[in-house]
Amino acid sequence: MSQDAILEARNVVKRFGKPANFMRASSLVHAVSNVSLSVRRGETLAIVGESGCGKSTLGRVLLRLLEPTSGQVFYEGTEITALGQREMRRLRRELQIIFQDPFASLNPRMSVRQILAEPIRLHRVATGRAVDERVDDLMRTVGLRSDWADRYAHEFSGGQRQRIGIARALAGGPKLIVGDEPVSALDVSIQAQVVNLLGELKQDFGLTLLIVAHDLAVIRHMSDRVAVMYLGEVVELASADNVYEAPLHPYTAALLQAIPVSNPSARGQRQLLQGDVPSPTAPPSGCRFHTRCPHARPRCTEDHPQLETAGDGRQVACHFWREIQSAGVSVPARGEQRGALDKRLALYRARQAQRLETGI
Amino acid sequence: MTGTTTSQPLLSVEDFSLNFSGMEKANLIDGISFSVLPGQTLCLVGESGCGKSVTSLALMGLLASPPARVKCGRALFNGRDLFTLSERQRADLRGNEIAMIFQEPMTSLNPSLTVGHQIVEGIRRHNAVSSEDARARALEMLELVRIPAPEKRFDAYPHQMSGGMRQRAMIAMALANSPKLLIADEPTTALDVTIQAQILALVSRLQRETGTAMILITHDLSVVAEVADRVAVMYAGRIVETGSVEEIFSDPQHPYTLGLFGSVPSLGRRTGALATIEGSVPPLEKMPAGCRFATRCPFADQRCHREAPPRYEPTPGHQVTCWYAPLEDHVRAA
Repeated sequence: MSQDAILEARNVVKRFGKPANFMRASSLVHAVSNVSLSVRRGETLAIVGESGCGKSTLGRVLLRLLEPTSGQVFYEGTEITALGQREMRRLRRELQIIFQDPFASLNPRMSVRQILAEPIRLHRVATGRAVDERVDDLMRTVGLRSDWADRYAHEFSGGQRQRIGIARALAGGPKLIVGDEPVSALDVSIQAQVVNLLGELKQDFGLTLLIVAHDLAVIRHMSDRVAVMYLGEVVELASADNVYEAPLHPYTAALLQAIPVSNPSARGQRQLLQGDVPSPTAPPSGCRFHTRCPHARPRCTEDHPQLETAGDGRQVACHFWREIQSAGVSVPARGEQRGALDKRLALYRARQAQRLETGI
Repeated sequence: MTGTTTSQPLLSVEDFSLNFSGMEKANLIDGISFSVLPGQTLCLVGESGCGKSVTSLALMGLLASPPARVKCGRALFNGRDLFTLSERQRADLRGNEIAMIFQEPMTSLNPSLTVGHQIVEGIRRHNAVSSEDARARALEMLELVRIPAPEKRFDAYPHQMSGGMRQRAMIAMALANSPKLLIADEPTTALDVTIQAQILALVSRLQRETGTAMILITHDLSVVAEVADRVAVMYAGRIVETGSVEEIFSDPQHPYTLGLFGSVPSLGRRTGALATIEGSVPPLEKMPAGCRFATRCPFADQRCHREAPPRYEPTPGHQVTCWYAPLEDHVRAA
């Protein structure tokens, strides 16, 4: 489809629950509706949206941790949704995931060495004594001391546990890693450590990252391209710079508007979205965003907009994006006056780098 | 409103220390002081475990004692020391003159009572009014916080509402008795960004209309930028820097404050790796005797570990406790 796609979704649909019958109403949740997108080799693609928009479900379907209701997923040209158990397991070595909650995703009864050795043995990356060496290597790679490998997960802090989760994902030598809210459970200072670590690992191992997240600032920092989801659909997909500086879809613009200001001097009136996200059991007709869209017109309530190409490799699903764009979607200015902060932060970084070098 | 107002503080916390029995070696909260003026918003900022929530619970009298013990300090609220009140006096203040909003409305609302019932209960506990009048007041509050169809929502149970609606209901409950001080503990952390923006706008509007003072506890610097008048940055049970929101954002001094700012990605174009704060907060029994940030501070030396840092005041009302403030006078660029 596009330049060197490593992973591609075609018309992926995922529904949970049961359809209506004569006894009861439908409990069908339309988690992902007809999503097609491709992840390019070596890029970081972010999927962003509010709770219940289907972003985590999509991430899992792409790794086939969930079976899609319909549609296909291709990895390196192979349709993984058609593979048998055995072949899929072999592929798992290359397709890995990091979970949000490092407290829930590490087995409390296993030492870190056991946790990391399991995928190494399973995928026959190493055998015998070499396994231990590989574990020690992984520990150092993610910034942990290798002599801590015999401890249990509860003996580590949240940030350290997330590093263990990353080490586990790296164990088989993956090509693509999905990060499902990989830093949102962490404190800001720890979050920054993990964000930096993921960036370094991506460079060092030539990884492709698919980040599922809701924190717009973290996404801006980490990703090359961004897919914005609303109620199970991708409404906009473009480079991070385009999405953040000139969003085309009114929902993207509304999301950006909702971010609190980064400086008290920038406080002011903003146009905020009213109301809640409608339930995905009964998504609105036509454009799913029309119930909250400030630009909605009669057509939007009936006619469902398709994701269309908008030049510059951008895609948007809105009937009126051209008109809205020419009317000027207002994105809050992010001009930042941070003189004293930048000056002192430079001293801080310099001193920190110096200390890391001298190893104090 | 900024730091230059001369009115009497509504709440003034002075040299407050608290510890838990069994962990007497170091104080969990160690000698913090701050004050809140009427109508003003003070933000307590810090990461997990810095003591910001414990401070608010202590002010509300919601900490079980023992194990919690106020070691020293006062908290003068309208001239009365909150720490010396009897349980009965506290109960009269709580939900009346001082109200609180919690992070997760699902766990702090009673799931087996309707939202209306819970608001009415709070109103009738503190006011001698008929149940009809209390109901009318509750409906007025639901309308004030912009809950659509308040008559219908009055009889809804918490689980029938969305997260944003529940938080609105909780705000309605907290403001029903026109408190003088509202303590909000991470009120928007559990919410999606578009809902967070609605709730922050709502809280600011209500505060303007009712003149309620607020202590807002958060870890999110952008929330601080949005609503604060004054800011106190907490680290490991101490306030390391305090000032007006403009001072904290335009002239941050303490290395921990700098590290926090550096850790937050900006929304502008990417500019290399984020600054980080290395390591994590040490456990209480391993806290250095001097500056508690010394174990993670890139500038720390022997003295920082041993001796408590002095207070430096770059401008009146802006205080920072650090041996090396201002940094540029003490540290040469590498």
